[in-house]
Amino acid sequence: MRLLREPLVHFLLLGTALFAAYSILSGRDELPRDAIVVSPGRIEHLSALFSRTWQRPPTSQELESLINDFVREEVAYREGLAVGLDRDDTIIRRRIRQKFEFIAGDLASQSEPSEDDLAAYLKANPDQFRVDPRLTFRQVYLNPDERDESIDKDARDLLITLNGDPSIDARTLGDRILLEHGYADVPFREVAALFGQRFAGTAAELNPGVWHGPIESGYGKHLVLVDERNEGRLPDLGEIRDRVRQEWDNTRRVDAIEKFYRDLLAKYEIVIDLPDPE
Amino acid sequence: MKNGPILIAVIAAALTVGMTPVSAFAQDSGHPDPAALAKVANKKPGYSPYAGRDFPTRPFFGDTHVHTATSFDAGAFGTTLGPRDAYRFARGDEVISNSGQRVKLSRPLDFLAVTDHSDNMGFFPDLMAGKQEILANPMGRKWYDMVKAGKGADVGIEAFFALFQGTYPKELMYNPGSRGFRRTWDDNIAAAEQYNDPGRFTAFIAYEWSASVKGNNLHRNVIFRDGSAKASQVEPIVTNPPVGNPDPAFLWKWMEAYEKKTGGSVLAIAHNGNLSNGMMFPMIETFGKQLDPDYVKTRARWERLIEVTQTKGTGEAHPSLSPNDEFADFELWDTGNLDLSAVKKPEMLQYEYAREALKNGLKLEQQLGTNPYKFGMVGSTDTHTALSSAEDDNFFGKMATAEPSAERLTNAFLSSKTSKTGLAYMDWEVSASGRAAVWATENTREAIFDAMDRKETYATTGTRMIVRFFGGFDFEPDDANNRLPARIGYTKGVPMGSDLRKAPKGKSPTFLVAALKDQIGANLDRIQIIKGWVDKNGKTQERVHDVAVSDGRKIGADGRCKTSVGSTVDVANATWTNTIGASEMVTMWKDPDFDPGLQAFYYVRVIEIPTPRWTAYDAKYYGTKPLPGTPMVVTERAYTSPIWYTPGE
Repeated sequence: MRLLREPLVHFLLLGTALFAAYSILSGRDELPRDAIVVSPGRIEHLSALFSRTWQRPPTSQELESLINDFVREEVAYREGLAVGLDRDDTIIRRRIRQKFEFIAGDLASQSEPSEDDLAAYLKANPDQFRVDPRLTFRQVYLNPDERDESIDKDARDLLITLNGDPSIDARTLGDRILLEHGYADVPFREVAALFGQRFAGTAAELNPGVWHGPIESGYGKHLVLVDERNEGRLPDLGEIRDRVRQEWDNTRRVDAIEKFYRDLLAKYEIVIDLPDPE
Repeated sequence: MKNGPILIAVIAAALTVGMTPVSAFAQDSGHPDPAALAKVANKKPGYSPYAGRDFPTRPFFGDTHVHTATSFDAGAFGTTLGPRDAYRFARGDEVISNSGQRVKLSRPLDFLAVTDHSDNMGFFPDLMAGKQEILANPMGRKWYDMVKAGKGADVGIEAFFALFQGTYPKELMYNPGSRGFRRTWDDNIAAAEQYNDPGRFTAFIAYEWSASVKGNNLHRNVIFRDGSAKASQVEPIVTNPPVGNPDPAFLWKWMEAYEKKTGGSVLAIAHNGNLSNGMMFPMIETFGKQLDPDYVKTRARWERLIEVTQTKGTGEAHPSLSPNDEFADFELWDTGNLDLSAVKKPEMLQYEYAREALKNGLKLEQQLGTNPYKFGMVGSTDTHTALSSAEDDNFFGKMATAEPSAERLTNAFLSSKTSKTGLAYMDWEVSASGRAAVWATENTREAIFDAMDRKETYATTGTRMIVRFFGGFDFEPDDANNRLPARIGYTKGVPMGSDLRKAPKGKSPTFLVAALKDQIGANLDRIQIIKGWVDKNGKTQERVHDVAVSDGRKIGADGRCKTSVGSTVDVANATWTNTIGASEMVTMWKDPDFDPGLQAFYYVRVIEIPTPRWTAYDAKYYGTKPLPGTPMVVTERAYTSPIWYTPGE
């Protein structure tokens, strides 16, 4: 039957069914506008809240007073709104704004991203997910406090020695520093945390197998030998799906709140009257 | 050797700084003879430069004390950033602050604990609902009228006072078991789980138990070693009656119950003894009860660390308790209690400051069998903005109202109009401090927690300098010249936070101490070792020793260097240079007046050269004029956990 395939008919049928179901479930045909209905669900909820605090269900007397309290709260709330107690109130304004932003942000993160969405996000923001390059390196430190002007010459001489005699124990050369002489397979960000961003950046570019330098850090100058460098890489989506999802959610949330304001503000004309200077 | 640090005399002699060709470099280490190196290192180091390090090789830096919008007072003051923003910021992301400014740390932190107040999680929705009971309560009536008059934000401030005064109307109290409370707790747990990234960034589950008695601060942060599976089996305990109790013994019971129920682990970190008006470190009685063996034992079990420096002042030492310590006068808050409802009386100070408590703890150990104040040290921010900022040139304040602005140099943090005593805390008094440094073997909840539990930690006022401290009976001056001070330290002694017992006959404790400047920070002025003990007459004593100083200055026979390192700070331009001070200092120190029969503790304080305080950066950036008396220069510092000596038969 052609008629059964019409969307409008679906809509009407569904609406009628819902209305009928509601009438049956609620047991009433209609309610006066000013009724305060305390549903079984609400009573269960009040009772559950009580139980969590007191670790026992309320007595019938206590339940009665919980219900009375709820009714009072509801009527005060409605009447309060009606006479405008919510207006010009910083706390209520802030709370409503918070709720609104929360809902806007929450709605965005409710939606389930497709694999394509996540893959596209990963492609567009590779730096957020790249696995750090890892370095295995050794360093010989030159302390500027103790070497003064000779430091650059010392570094050059030392570099020649190190590269000229592979059997030399580099641990005994240069000046002592509280950091380690050798670091095995440490991620780039760890190198940056220990020696500084600039040092780490330079060290990551060095040709392995030869002493280089001097490279500067916040402590002074270093000669550096990279034994091995494991290149950083961008993992497959499968390996880091949760993290991509987390960032995707966050971006969606931030974007949704932005869009929420953009859309709302489009309906308004904003007039800002700055006070005259003085 | 212009700026070379003069260490102790022995080492200075050994430092043959020959600047001539290559062979001389081998002598720079002070070990021209490889056999000598082999001897101190016990054996020749193996071929691999990387192998054989089973001790912590770097400290992890973090913050154990951060509030977000879910703390009721933070929310009242306008904080909108939540726990997720706090973790993002700490791991190095750029975020938009509560006042709409872009902000990023100079470098990521390694770990963070979001510690929202357990009391009254989710207070505002209830106030808005306007319950009948509010009107029956005089204070509620007043707040209700204020709400009606459009002064909602003031209600937030008053509620803050009421909570810490214990006058908060119970009808308005959110408690464990209520929906808002549970939801907030679950969400804070979820945020920590989401951002915890073992090996890269540790996000602790935590909360603050903010007990106050008439505005006297007894706050503790509770840190969980565990994840959601265990932490979500419980709800935080609160401090306000009837559900809660401000007596810390109550918190310790909760902690014990948690561990019993879940098999998990928690520890507590007390803070701001300086605002407790004599209640933080009691000596005779507490909450109407005599201190007894049970109290001291329980306290020692749970209170492993204290937060010795933070935005509301530093509580290491006080000049009136330590008159011979010219560095004790540092970022003090000593005019009253937390909400300035009562002024500070001089006799309160001895129960508020860490050094005094460390000394008094030895005395209590004699009386009651356990030292209740055997704590390690950390620093943290106590920020209420979700932004853990402790850098003076990048300081985002303690409350959302004190994020950078042209006004904060002159604003009140706590106005004299609101406080009972008519006293005020000004925003300029707020300190851009501190950081917790932890010698853990790896960056995970478990490893960092375990290091905190064994007190292998130190506090800094914001700098990320590296500090090593080992104690033993066999360190020799030459150990300070060794290339591997950490290996020597762990081999021949114990690290900060540990114990030395029963000195071998004729031997005194020896200490290996080393400090390396923050790689983007200021040089070091000096290393000090502070000794505290109980003398033969049962009186507590203390002595500050300078053990290493920069720029060739001399340490006198009295163990002190009275020459100042000087200053390069240009306040008007908020700049300084590293042309004074030393980048690294290492030394061995032997206690010159040791009595093997007396208990003692030793901890290290490292002082940086002067640098511009955040107030100088503000004045420069905004072109504003500070109020009279505003300090514009700061000497950042680190405090290590002590090493304790206990005599034995």
